[in-house]
Amino acid sequence: MSPLAAGLAIFLGLAGGVAIGSGVIALFIVLDMIPRLAQVTNSYDKVHWYEGAMIAGAVIGTVADFWDWKVAGPWLITGIVGLFNGVFVGMLAAALTEVLNVLPILAKRLHMQRYLFGFLLAMVFGKMAGSLFEWFIYRP
Amino acid sequence: MLFLRAKSKSKASPPLAYYGQYASGRVVSMEKESASIVYLRLRKQVGLPAGAPIRLRDVARVLAEPELEGKLLELELDRPEQRDGNLIVIDTLRVISAIQSKFPGLRIELLGEPHVLVEMIKAEKKPSLLLFALVWLLLFFGAALTIMNFHADVSMPEVQVRIVEMITGEKDEHPYLFQGAYSVGIGFGMIVFFNHLFKKKWNEEPTPLEVEMFLYQENLNQYVVAEELKKMHRADSSAKRN
Repeated sequence: MSPLAAGLAIFLGLAGGVAIGSGVIALFIVLDMIPRLAQVTNSYDKVHWYEGAMIAGAVIGTVADFWDWKVAGPWLITGIVGLFNGVFVGMLAAALTEVLNVLPILAKRLHMQRYLFGFLLAMVFGKMAGSLFEWFIYRP
Repeated sequence: MLFLRAKSKSKASPPLAYYGQYASGRVVSMEKESASIVYLRLRKQVGLPAGAPIRLRDVARVLAEPELEGKLLELELDRPEQRDGNLIVIDTLRVISAIQSKFPGLRIELLGEPHVLVEMIKAEKKPSLLLFALVWLLLFFGAALTIMNFHADVSMPEVQVRIVEMITGEKDEHPYLFQGAYSVGIGFGMIVFFNHLFKKKWNEEPTPLEVEMFLYQENLNQYVVAEELKKMHRADSSAKRN
């Protein structure tokens, strides 16, 4: 690879990485997930650690994916990682629902504010059921 | 528009004669001698049973001399008809004119909101359980659909197989343990986000859903007030033209 092509490749790679990286972080910022976690665990003073965790996760995930890193871990670990992944996606889904204001509008329109918690559970169980159905029945 | 009108008027007239709709805390006075002062603080929004007249006690807090205060509190401001709809805006001008027609010569000091939104609440009929069940099922299947859409969108199966391969070193086309834990985790994550499990235990801050409900209601109120004021203004100006 000529130096020129190498320089161009580095530039393009950096540009793409910066765009994607800032986009990912911007999404999580918009969805207010870190503040939410800090609020639930009462640890506002540690939000910088949470940022660091997200950045480290993004970088390590990228590198591990590109370089095909593997470890021969026990099967049980997949359950733990899967649980963390699921919780994260669940929070993502909840945050998106909230941004879109679905439940307040629905409850208000139908005069069913008292059932708000029931509706919330409907969405929670719906997500779980959809996910379980997909993995265990739809694609066995 | 009303705002502009009030402003321009106040410029032309001497400082104490403001019809200060927006001038919280300014003095509205009809008399030069020291009259007894009434302090009024309008509420932002109140709910009243439909059909009942709107009294001052319903829409404002009042501070005045004791014997006067009782009479003021019972002062009738409006008798809403069915056709007025269930949302009524009462602004400070209306309150002032009502007070002055009954108790001329009072000094009125206004604090707080420039108008109050009155919601006439009809006797609430119990929402049907059937409707609730329908909405529940709608949300349930909708949520299931969207999570599957999401998985298809981001090629979740391939990524899951890849992650499991990274962890165990072996390719497993059906990483059931991972997927099962993942599915349960989704539910758990949503509940954590909405803070329903830990509400009592950890802190008293409102959950995002509660904040969202509140903001939605505030926005609705703002819109209704703005619309009602526009209507009033239109009615005013057409009345003047005729």
